[in-house]
Amino acid sequence: MRFTSLSGERGNVLLCVLCTILVVSIIGGNVLFNCMTRYNVASSQVRSWKESLDAAETGGDIAYAEVRKTILDPTHAFTGTSGKGSGWTYSGGVYTNSPVTYGNDSLTTSARVDLFYYDANGNPWYRVRTNGTAPVNGLKRVGMDDRMGPNNRGDSLLRKIDFNYDHFVATYGPNGDGLNKALVPVMRPQVTRRVELIAAPITPFEAAIKAGGTFYGLGSAAYIDSYRSSVGAYDASVRFNPSDPRYVDALSGTVEINTSIATIMGSIWGNLYTNGGAVTKKTSSIYGIIDNNVPFSLPPLYMPDTSGWSYVSTPSAVTGNTTINPPAAGTPQSPNYYLMSSFSSSGNMTVNAYSNNGTVQDTYVAVHVTGDVGSATGSGATITIANHVHLEFYFDGNFGAKATNIVNNTGYVGNLQFYGISPTDPSVQQTIDLNSGSGSTAGFAAVFYAPSANVTVNGGPDFIGSVVCKNFYANGNVHWHYDRLLDGVGNAVDYRVISYVEDTR
Amino acid sequence: MKLKSSQSNAGFTLSEMLVSVSLSSIVLLAAILSSVSLQKSFNAVDNYFTTHMQQIRIIDYLNRDVKRGLIVTTSVDLQSVTMSLPNYLIQSGDPEAIANPSLVGTPRTPTISYNTNGWQVNYSPSTTTVVYSISGTSITRTENGVVTTIASSTDQLVPSTTDVEQANTEYAKTSVTFAPIFSSSGSAATRTGTSLYGTAYLRNKRRG
Repeated sequence: MRFTSLSGERGNVLLCVLCTILVVSIIGGNVLFNCMTRYNVASSQVRSWKESLDAAETGGDIAYAEVRKTILDPTHAFTGTSGKGSGWTYSGGVYTNSPVTYGNDSLTTSARVDLFYYDANGNPWYRVRTNGTAPVNGLKRVGMDDRMGPNNRGDSLLRKIDFNYDHFVATYGPNGDGLNKALVPVMRPQVTRRVELIAAPITPFEAAIKAGGTFYGLGSAAYIDSYRSSVGAYDASVRFNPSDPRYVDALSGTVEINTSIATIMGSIWGNLYTNGGAVTKKTSSIYGIIDNNVPFSLPPLYMPDTSGWSYVSTPSAVTGNTTINPPAAGTPQSPNYYLMSSFSSSGNMTVNAYSNNGTVQDTYVAVHVTGDVGSATGSGATITIANHVHLEFYFDGNFGAKATNIVNNTGYVGNLQFYGISPTDPSVQQTIDLNSGSGSTAGFAAVFYAPSANVTVNGGPDFIGSVVCKNFYANGNVHWHYDRLLDGVGNAVDYRVISYVEDTR
Repeated sequence: MKLKSSQSNAGFTLSEMLVSVSLSSIVLLAAILSSVSLQKSFNAVDNYFTTHMQQIRIIDYLNRDVKRGLIVTTSVDLQSVTMSLPNYLIQSGDPEAIANPSLVGTPRTPTISYNTNGWQVNYSPSTTTVVYSISGTSITRTENGVVTTIASSTDQLVPSTTDVEQANTEYAKTSVTFAPIFSSSGSAATRTGTSLYGTAYLRNKRRG
């Protein structure tokens, strides 16, 4: 008999192999667990948290586009369209759009817009509240770094993930005001972020001269400077005296040109912006900043909605001497509105203030002339406004007047505003001619917003105000003073977002 | 029947034992050293990623607050950031809350004003002050005096923020570095290699 079995030795080998596999598996499992958790946090949760803000801001962009349409395309603002999820509904003073889902990661956004404020110009301000939601893929758990110590939390304090229920609706209500709280299950883990934007109207007169096309001027001895009428009357010496408290307002005679064609003469006591120009301090007398890379757009100007204005039937034209005596004071939102079919080449229009029991009141008047106003030759139009009058003068055609014939007796340039409505026919070139008249340096105070018009200033009038136009040409030694109060007056020509807050709860 | 004695069952000689024990010891030592090294590497890598996640968190916190801020100011050593935020929500003790306690926690409707800087949106006359700073091995965020530790590591996390003012806005560039535990030399290059960068612009018009 022979004993040759070595089965015990083979068992030891198997045991060793199994133990080794077990140890390696434990190590590998631990590594995989850590990797998965890190990946889960870094790739899924952090990404979703960032993407949800992108979604919220996208919702803000969508709403902002609608707000801009209230100026640029009113008939299509906040209207439902056939596009997926792009319809807006209006209820209780709030516009709400259907949630929009987009992108490979199925981000969702929705917005609520309400008009919450009218400023002194009668321009509406809009508040935009948006939600952005991003799904959280991966493991349904928080990261390993969440708790760092007593009272200290890492990720969940920053990135609030809704695994089962929408924590915001449950705790603060859908609008964050504590109303209508509800336990709302979520389809899958998600992150929602909420931002609130304020869209403010852009007023037309933010610079002394703003030309969407070419620029030539002014005369070699001309200058553009600024002041603030609320601080005191214009004083030409202030811009030379840095110790004067009014000096801070003296260097804002800014000129903005949206092309590279800019022939700069005279002195500019402010900034100069061009779009691709080659202006330098060596080639010009500019005391502010020169930036040759500032493009902007000047959208066409359309006649505002007049349905809320107080229409007055007479006078309906300006022929010879025409006086307007408004029947009421009106308001910035609802001025006395006169629709005129013509304004003769030498017409003389005077607007008086409304008087109630002998007390003269601030009176708001809007005039719309559907044809030309005055003439570039001859005496041109004469327009006079009495003290306490706030006149908005709209014209569809060309405008021609001598500087001496534009008489603003209110003491404030912002009370006489001219708006050139853009021609519907693109082949028609609108013009505005302002002549000093007989070499006079007599001044006038007014503002012009005519984004489609070519403006020509002949002679050297002393001008207080602002001009926004297409092409600008001036050949005289104009003394141009921009009142810094103008950057907050006038009808809105566009909107910009000026406030941003995030509800981080 | 005769049982045959087998030489293979005989014991080992002393020299055989010495050789085998020596070889076994070497193999065992190598295994132990490998395990320890593996464990150290694992800890180092795990710690690296833990700290890296905290870097991301610091950047995310800062960027979130900078975006909604009104002013951002950094200290001379660039390690402390102070910012003012709009008081969006009504807090306990605010005048609105005193008048109507049910308003606590609700968003404010802003007021609009015009001053020498143009139009301004104000949610409240006062603002919330947030300060980011280093406290020992932690990075803290202090909001109106309430301190929250947003990152904590023995790896010497150091954020560095610079704020750059522009005409109407401002942006903050932040980098966060740390010294990994597997770096025995502690050289500057090792720390620099861990840098994580973030840049955020104010979405509000800069004040001040």
